[in-house]
Amino acid sequence: MSTATTSTNSEKVLDYFAIFGVPRKLWIEMSELEQKFLQMSWKLHPDNFVNATEQERELSLKRSSELNDAYRTLRDPIARVEYLLGIEGERKEGEKKQQAPPELLEEVFELNESLEELREARASGQDLTGLQARLETAEKSFQEKLGEVDAELQSAAREWDATLTVDSAARKKVMARLNELLNRRSYIRNLVTNVAKELGEV
Amino acid sequence: MGRIVGIDLGTTNSLVAYADALTGQPKCIPGPYGSTLCPSVVSIDTDGSVIVGQPAKRRLLTQPERTIYSVKRLMGRGPTDIQDELKLFPFRIAPASRNVIRVRLGDKVFTPPEISAFILRELKNWAEAFFGETVDRAVITVPAYFNDAQRQATKDAGRIAGLEVLRLVNEPTAAALAYGLHEKQRGKVAVYDLGGGTFDISVLKLISTSEGDIYQVLSTNGDTHLGGDDIDNLLQAFVHELILQHDRVDFSPHGELAQELRKALIQVKHQLSETEAATLRFSLPNGKVFTHEFTRGALDALIRPVVDRTMGPVKQALADAQLKPADIGEVVLVGGATRTPLIRRTVQEFFDRKPHTELNPDEVVALGAAVQANILDRGVKNMLLLDVTPLSLGIETYGGAVAKVIPRNSTIPASAQELYTTGVDNQTGIEIHVLQGERELAKDCRSLARFTLKVPPAPAGLPRIEVKFLIDANGILQVGARDLRTGEQHSIEVQPSYGISHAEIERMLEESIEYAEQDFAERQLIEARTEADTILAATVKAQANPKSAELTADEGAKIDASVAALKESVAGTDYKLIRKRIDELNRATEHLAELLMSSAVSTALEGRKLAEV
Repeated sequence: MSTATTSTNSEKVLDYFAIFGVPRKLWIEMSELEQKFLQMSWKLHPDNFVNATEQERELSLKRSSELNDAYRTLRDPIARVEYLLGIEGERKEGEKKQQAPPELLEEVFELNESLEELREARASGQDLTGLQARLETAEKSFQEKLGEVDAELQSAAREWDATLTVDSAARKKVMARLNELLNRRSYIRNLVTNVAKELGEV
Repeated sequence: MGRIVGIDLGTTNSLVAYADALTGQPKCIPGPYGSTLCPSVVSIDTDGSVIVGQPAKRRLLTQPERTIYSVKRLMGRGPTDIQDELKLFPFRIAPASRNVIRVRLGDKVFTPPEISAFILRELKNWAEAFFGETVDRAVITVPAYFNDAQRQATKDAGRIAGLEVLRLVNEPTAAALAYGLHEKQRGKVAVYDLGGGTFDISVLKLISTSEGDIYQVLSTNGDTHLGGDDIDNLLQAFVHELILQHDRVDFSPHGELAQELRKALIQVKHQLSETEAATLRFSLPNGKVFTHEFTRGALDALIRPVVDRTMGPVKQALADAQLKPADIGEVVLVGGATRTPLIRRTVQEFFDRKPHTELNPDEVVALGAAVQANILDRGVKNMLLLDVTPLSLGIETYGGAVAKVIPRNSTIPASAQELYTTGVDNQTGIEIHVLQGERELAKDCRSLARFTLKVPPAPAGLPRIEVKFLIDANGILQVGARDLRTGEQHSIEVQPSYGISHAEIERMLEESIEYAEQDFAERQLIEARTEADTILAATVKAQANPKSAELTADEGAKIDASVAALKESVAGTDYKLIRKRIDELNRATEHLAELLMSSAVSTALEGRKLAEV
């Protein structure tokens, strides 16, 4: 299912960066964003329009929800990248969403094997401590990989900010990189969540 | 336009408050019995008249099949949701229609919002009597962890009571507003709110800006099935078992005897908040008196499971706000159950901070509602409240999974857009199922609405319909759709999974006006007569007790004379005279009431009236 933010139709797409009057940069000064958010909340919040006309109330509801949506999205570094790629038309989740990135293939294979063994051992009531330790190590290793992806995302984000004034070919390249990193991140994060869930059931 | 008030529609008690026009200070409005607490109890008399609050509470013992308490537990819930409640509470459920519960009171049947509306109307009457003006608008508080259906039901109740509900405010947030006025604190605040039936924890950030103070809720969590009632249930089950073992007396969990035991246990519980030990004395039908000495330690051990259950949500709320206990500058305790020493100690130890208890924990939520009412009425322009939605909003996807579109703890109003298209040629409808909750599968989340999106016939994949889900400032969902190819707005008839239709609400409003149009004096007369009946019955019962032999002849004669005088006044229609005679009889029976009380509880109950013993 795609979302409205990936929509490419002629309908004007709401720009969260524009709501705050900031350029489409990935590095955002948080305290400044918060200041702006609070200032605009004073003006837009439905509390100010309880006795206003229905039209004004509707507008306040619309604009304040957009403000809150924008703040929620831009405040979160990952959601911010996803959103940026979305409005630039470069977010591609890829058809191979469930497929492991090539450099992780071997480890993912091992992990799935361990998970399978754990389920079987649990079903037959065997001792789980050895398997558990192995999975915990694997979980830690994937957590580290998540940290690495985040670091790479940060460096790609800096690159994006630097190319903002440069040619569009360079920007496309950075966006492709960001897109690939987001996909890798979401893949690893799912793995970590699954392992944590299995371990939690032991 | 009439006055605006703040209302705490509680599980056990409800209150109404207003903000002083000059000072902005919130105050609770007392009812005809002098107390600001209106017990959330509704009773329907044989003639169809509605009795609410203190007189209805007395009828719990005498007319249990016509009387209901804790109706808040049923708000916005379907027949399958309430199986656990039915085990613990004497609700008489009538056949449901369209997933809305209906409760039987005598020979009449009501929905939970209608019953809540009786309570709201009573409070509205209190406020109108107090102001001498009409009251037509209100801010009503709800547990922060209430879902969409429970919020909608509360709003419906307001409408049925003839009130325009300007805003639903989360109870812990309201408490923070009430405290904020007094404390002028800045920083992070945790509000721990254990009411009669619900538990909430909210973490707020108080921010000073040049325009004024902002109360920003960072996260909230809770349990809509956890409260002081659970403590009472544990106590009751424990003593029930003891009585069964020692005296071989078993009684039905909802019968009159069980209600009396519960009442006695609540008194023991209250006493243990003050003293280290208290004795329960309880007369059994076989003539024996069951006694049991409780120490505070034993009580603590018994209720620890309830207290422990509150700490899960507390930790989750902190984690969601990305804070540690040490980051919290102030802790506020709300709700009558937080008078329990074990709860105070547990909260204090967790946050390593003495919690605020300066404001009356029963009144603080209503006071905050009055503050918010004043803000909305533009009496206050330098305060802003930014609240959050407690539960994630999701859409069912392939295979029964849920795609979260608005995460929990999003500042409201909040919205999300989803783009839909068709899978086969000339498909004319797309099924959409909206849910609320944190679980991954639709079957484990709360169903809010199902609807079919109408699509004009076209080749598969061509239609582009944007559906907008919007959670308003009350935490209530609105859905809209737009055809992106034509720009045409689609109106969507969303059938809530649990809820009352607009037409039904209007009908209920009309009916409730009929109830309300009973003249004020007539209402007063009914209430005074009910109260007189209660005290007369209690006097007869007390006089039959062997202990009454200890009264002097003079005291006995005085009681008889007062009884006769009261009976005479009840035959007339002067409710003021009835009230006067009730007071006289109460005074005449003071000594008798003392004699009937066990010595252990008497210290805690000094000055109580016979009908309350």
